[in-house]
Amino acid sequence: MAEQTQGAVALSAVIADAATGVALALQGGGDPYALSRILRQDDPLAPAAVRVLGADALAPYALEHRAAPGGADDEAVVRQTLAAYPPGADASAVSAWSYRGLVEASHAYLPVGDQPWPRPPKAGSDWIGTDPWPKLAHRVSQLAALALPGLAADLADQLAARTDDLARGFVRAVRRRDWLQAAGVGRWLARLPDVPPTLGLDAGLAFVRQMGGADPRVALHVVAARRFHGRGW
Amino acid sequence: MVTDRTAPGETTALATEVEGLLSPEEPDGVFRDTRKCVDGLLALGLILISPPTPRPKTHS
Repeated sequence: MAEQTQGAVALSAVIADAATGVALALQGGGDPYALSRILRQDDPLAPAAVRVLGADALAPYALEHRAAPGGADDEAVVRQTLAAYPPGADASAVSAWSYRGLVEASHAYLPVGDQPWPRPPKAGSDWIGTDPWPKLAHRVSQLAALALPGLAADLADQLAARTDDLARGFVRAVRRRDWLQAAGVGRWLARLPDVPPTLGLDAGLAFVRQMGGADPRVALHVVAARRFHGRGW
Repeated sequence: MVTDRTAPGETTALATEVEGLLSPEEPDGVFRDTRKCVDGLLALGLILISPPTPRPKTHS
């Protein structure tokens, strides 16, 4: 039990470091981005961290992939991740969608190399129409990495029909002081059209960053909303 | 180049950990849906403003 807890702490630390590196790259700081540079290459936790971050691990390439495409080392990390952590038969919808997001991002931002990338697997979408709004917001926040431009277009189309519910979920998360959920939902709202102006999304995202920005994943979502969709201050 | 140095048992434990981190349960919290609460508040208000139950008058 103690070993498991220690392992979870170690993985969380690797994820936090990687998220910090991605957020910094999105802000334009530091050297040109390389996924293999922000993760220790001999670290067995690196693929697990990439799996948890999903498409966000490649987010900086969405800005600069034409000028500086991902290299062979990045391709190797992502291929290893995809091979090691496929969603199982009993995996959650979030896990399936997150895996799909990473595959889509690999197609979009990384070179093909010798082997083609796997096809994006199918992921169930019934929950988008049927989940009550608090549950929907919670689930959507866990899929914030898919809010990158150009990814998961079908998911974005279906979520657009529930923009008001997501706006409610954003407010609920802020009131609960669940900053990670608020940042994730806010990032999706930043991508969606027709967000009610009365929500105050820009000020809301700035508030979430102020209150929860110490968590690197919160900071990453807020920075991505700003960088890709121009929302938040 | 990343090399896989994890034993199979560790990989299984890591996979479970990853699944847990991907979709953790929402922390418990009390949240009331205003729309659902309206009916309850209305009923409570009606009870409070309703006249007292009529009782038979006693003539001493």
